[in-house]
Amino acid sequence: MSILLRNIIRFILLILFQVMVLDRILVHQMVNPYLYMLFVLLLPFNIPRPALQFLGLLLGLTLDMFSDSMGIHAAACVFIAYLRPFVLNILSPQGGFEGPQRTPSVTTMGISQFAIYVTVMVLLHHIAYFCLSVFSFADPLYLLTKILLSTTASLLLILIYELLFFSRK
Amino acid sequence: MRNLIIFLRRYFNFFLFLLLEVICLVFVFRTNNFQRTVYLNSANGVSGKLYTRYNDIQYYFHLKSTNDSLVSENLALLQQLPTSFEKKDTASQVKFDTLRKFTNDTARKLLGTEVRKFLYRSAKVVNNSVNKPVNFITINRGSKDGIRPNMGVIGPNGVVGVVRTASENYAVIISLLTKSNGSTSSFSFSSRLKNSGEIGTVYWDGYDGGYVTMKDVPRSAKLHKGDTVVTSGFSAVFPENMNIGYIDTFYIGEKASTSVTIRLKLATNFYNLQYVYVIENLLRDEQERLEDSTRKMLK
Repeated sequence: MSILLRNIIRFILLILFQVMVLDRILVHQMVNPYLYMLFVLLLPFNIPRPALQFLGLLLGLTLDMFSDSMGIHAAACVFIAYLRPFVLNILSPQGGFEGPQRTPSVTTMGISQFAIYVTVMVLLHHIAYFCLSVFSFADPLYLLTKILLSTTASLLLILIYELLFFSRK
Repeated sequence: MRNLIIFLRRYFNFFLFLLLEVICLVFVFRTNNFQRTVYLNSANGVSGKLYTRYNDIQYYFHLKSTNDSLVSENLALLQQLPTSFEKKDTASQVKFDTLRKFTNDTARKLLGTEVRKFLYRSAKVVNNSVNKPVNFITINRGSKDGIRPNMGVIGPNGVVGVVRTASENYAVIISLLTKSNGSTSSFSFSSRLKNSGEIGTVYWDGYDGGYVTMKDVPRSAKLHKGDTVVTSGFSAVFPENMNIGYIDTFYIGEKASTSVTIRLKLATNFYNLQYVYVIENLLRDEQERLEDSTRKMLK
């Protein structure tokens, strides 16, 4: 399957899974897991940076349409799409990750590098998203608890995703 | 000039990032402008249809609890029927009419003007959330059915929220579960203790979808666990005596404070909401016009 087709399918499935399943599950008032931003995380290494940001915007706006948040998801997605190359730069070994068409995964980056990459990106996304959606620093404990608990839940989901769709290639 | 172009090209990605973020934030802060953003929320055709399909399936899993709440609502209405009261005096019966009543003789003297004030429309919930800081409910009635922004919405058991936007076939309601701090500018409801009549403000603190907070209740109020709190009827949105919730616990914030803060158990169960009623206040325009003109006179 080509990289393009794979990403289009991933986009649609992640949005549907987010809207139909994750937004319906009520774990706890403080825990809102998000999985859809995995699409931004798993785009190929060599994608141009403007294209990355526009894809982030598209992904965010699509989800905003369903969850009545009007721009909040989009802002968070553009934020992580902009910061993604910096995070990858810090984590990459000398000379970058090998191969022209490779995407970030456990096999290309190594378990520890990939885990750090995903954790940092998910945390950044959740900070941006919850700061905008709560939109008040009057109750910092509420905001902090929500960010940390939701990040944990999202990371758990990403772990399950990686276990399900693990490929040795 | 050349340096400027080089500078712009060098930091192109950063400027693109800023531009896109600004676009997103404009979307976020333009939410008050109903018409421009109505296509970017779940009241639009695509997501509205998808949610309707989804709800068709999911609805069956809630049939039992939906039936229960509708039966209890029917029961409450049956209790109020005139036929369930025994009348000793047949002449004391009161007939209500929505028309102006005149005497039958040639003088045509006006006897009474009972006009309808509130009009109810039923609607089906197609999408609902409870776990976000600001929660929205989508219903399958829109401007075609006469739904307009700022109408009140109640469920079978109590207050649900206020209509925010309406497209042709769908409308989006801001749920009572909208995190706020209870100040006058934020989202809150004017409410009243059913037994003693003290007034307070009800708002949601964002922690638990089953409970809300009522503040500014005077310390003199006699409070008991389980007492009902109802709408005050001061705003033009809700009729009075609509259930909001039942007293769970109450405490006095500071020692010198003159008011009590009450934690209410919500009357409406937002977790399995299926049917709601949208309330149109037919005399609202008149009330608001009068209030506005009075304010202008004072200026």
